[in-house]
Amino acid sequence: MSRAGLKDFIGRFAESRSAVVSLAVSITFVACAIFAPLLAPTDPYDLTQLQLSDALKPTGSKRMLPGEEIRANMWVEGGSASVEPVSPAKTRLAFLTEPCAPNCLSVIVRPEDVRLASLQIRNLPAGVTVEGAKKHPIQPWWTVDTPQGSKVRLISSAPLPASFTFLAIAKSMEQETDFIFRLGTDGFGRDMLSAILYGIRISVFVGLVAAGVAMVFGTGLGLLSAWRGGVTDAIIMRAVDFMLGLPALLVGLAILAVLGNGVSKVVLAIVIVQWSYYARTARSFALSELGKEYVEAAQCLRLSPTRIMLRHVLPNCMPQIIVLFTLNIAAAISLESSLSFLGVGLPLTRPSLGMLIASGYEFIFSHKYWISIYPGVVLLVMIVAMNLLGDRLRDLNNPRLDR
Amino acid sequence: MNEMIFEAKGLSRSFTVGGSPIREFANHFLRDRQPTVLRAVDNVSLTLREGETLGVVGESGCGKSTLARMIAGILPASSGERCFRGEAYDSFLARKRDALKIQMVFQDPLSSLNPRLRVGEIVGEAAVLHRLVPRSKAKDYVVDILARVGLPADSINRYPHQFSGGQRQRVGIARALAVKPHMLICDEAVAALDVSVQAQIINLLMDIKRDSGLAMIFISHDLGVIRHLCDRVAVMYLGRIVELAETKQLFASPTHPYTRMLLDGMPKISLQRRRFMPIQGEIPSPLHPPLGCHFHPRCQIATEHCSRVRPELRQIAPGHVHACLNIECRSALGEM
Repeated sequence: MSRAGLKDFIGRFAESRSAVVSLAVSITFVACAIFAPLLAPTDPYDLTQLQLSDALKPTGSKRMLPGEEIRANMWVEGGSASVEPVSPAKTRLAFLTEPCAPNCLSVIVRPEDVRLASLQIRNLPAGVTVEGAKKHPIQPWWTVDTPQGSKVRLISSAPLPASFTFLAIAKSMEQETDFIFRLGTDGFGRDMLSAILYGIRISVFVGLVAAGVAMVFGTGLGLLSAWRGGVTDAIIMRAVDFMLGLPALLVGLAILAVLGNGVSKVVLAIVIVQWSYYARTARSFALSELGKEYVEAAQCLRLSPTRIMLRHVLPNCMPQIIVLFTLNIAAAISLESSLSFLGVGLPLTRPSLGMLIASGYEFIFSHKYWISIYPGVVLLVMIVAMNLLGDRLRDLNNPRLDR
Repeated sequence: MNEMIFEAKGLSRSFTVGGSPIREFANHFLRDRQPTVLRAVDNVSLTLREGETLGVVGESGCGKSTLARMIAGILPASSGERCFRGEAYDSFLARKRDALKIQMVFQDPLSSLNPRLRVGEIVGEAAVLHRLVPRSKAKDYVVDILARVGLPADSINRYPHQFSGGQRQRVGIARALAVKPHMLICDEAVAALDVSVQAQIINLLMDIKRDSGLAMIFISHDLGVIRHLCDRVAVMYLGRIVELAETKQLFASPTHPYTRMLLDGMPKISLQRRRFMPIQGEIPSPLHPPLGCHFHPRCQIATEHCSRVRPELRQIAPGHVHACLNIECRSALGEM
């Protein structure tokens, strides 16, 4: 297309406001897909970051750091104690002791700002108790809930033994962080915003690749069909009719039921469903191009059939095929989402939009709407935008629909 | 000059209409429904000498374009022989570079040019691919060719839709000339153009013919153009040649009733007001051509014999053949 032709094409495209908006939306989605790792606040594929305490949090809630726990054996030797943590858990918490009044020892948890949920002292020697604590009915365990100043006092009516040991267990309260789940979390505690961005990435990738492979494959067969005619044409076109006669979703389900799930298998399933559209379109437009005199001229110039088809006929069929490609990206995305929703598409650890909708489906009746609704809205907007874009391109290609 | 460049013997092309395998199967049960055969070109023999221009004239649908495509080797013949300089087409067309010696100029100047290619590529593609010119010199070569057909050098970067009809036809002629043909087939090459542009293109073709001694087959329904351009003329009716003669002879003394009616229909400059005598009736469907002489339903001198016997081409004067049962020789014309 010449530069003037391109300018004219853009001008006519821009006459439809909805087409411009949908082009912008489509570009935004593709950008989201490309830059998802930069845009997403968390990496939803990193399963180690997930914590069940974050699961099913509504929109705008903050991520909670779970309570930490520390256990330590304490040896008291003449008023000072040595601390030996039992489990080498990663924690900020630390114990220390200090004598208070006579016959008294404070057990303190540091850092100072920590808010403890409970502090338990076990296995004290006879006669020593914990101030303000509940004693376990059978075991020699003393528990203080939410101790003031993160410390407890061991007291005794007699002087404390010169040396004794005990076990201290401290549990801190859950802590709010500054991280906000803008769109809530799903059942695994994944940030929905990140999951949606990565879901767009997968959906757009699957849509583009599947529609692209189907385009190459189907267009090739269509051109072959148009060029060879006769038996080849009949076989290919009956295969096309057969594929078009079957519901796409059913075919996809059947293929994935055999192959199992995975991105490449979903792409394969969509290609098998979609190649027939391209084959039929390419054949019909190639046939009309083959009837034109420039093809006869090329034959007269003794160009090879391959060259005539690929260099002369194909470029003249491309506008129609590109329109179909645009529409079929949307169809591929929705097919992939449907398959994922039905549980045969992509694995649960790498959710696409359809998989996210499916995973929220079980919670939707318990008012946890955000897991399904947000990916659904995103999917809807994406598919509508791409369809509008394809429609506009189709209209521009059809002079009868254009004024 | 008398060397034959092209010869066709008994050339026929038939198309089967609605003949699918299923239809053929059904025909076993429905005896009356034979697959319909359209004989677009029926038993045509003609010759072309080096440097000669042969005109082929006839009404629409008489098989002129099918004949042209068979001669150009882009449509296989159903039966009959085609020879280029004495060599049968099968072996001739297999050698791609030699096959370039026959080129064609098409009727529709727009649809005969690929809209997505620049003129430079349209003209130069085949010459480069068949190594007539090295790729590095292709641009100069194309500019030369374009200059020969009267197009400016900057045309090579433009697209076909940026040209007028006449210029497009020049591009089409340049494309044919670019592969150094020895024989050029013009299929209604000026029919789609304005009269003034027609004249330019005809002059261009005559210049090219004069300069390079191309043999030409010029297909047209325009008798004036044919008369101006051709050495010999073949008149076709419904797939058959009905008369073939030197141009002067044909226009001076046509013998076949169809030719005479065609010439009567030509507008002439004369002082007298004159009624045109249109040929009676419609051209019959080539699917169901009349038996015997194809022309007999419209012929004023047809006899009952004409509807039964197919007339063969007979020589009635040196270099003048026709296919009419009733007119034996030119002297018989006076008796009508």
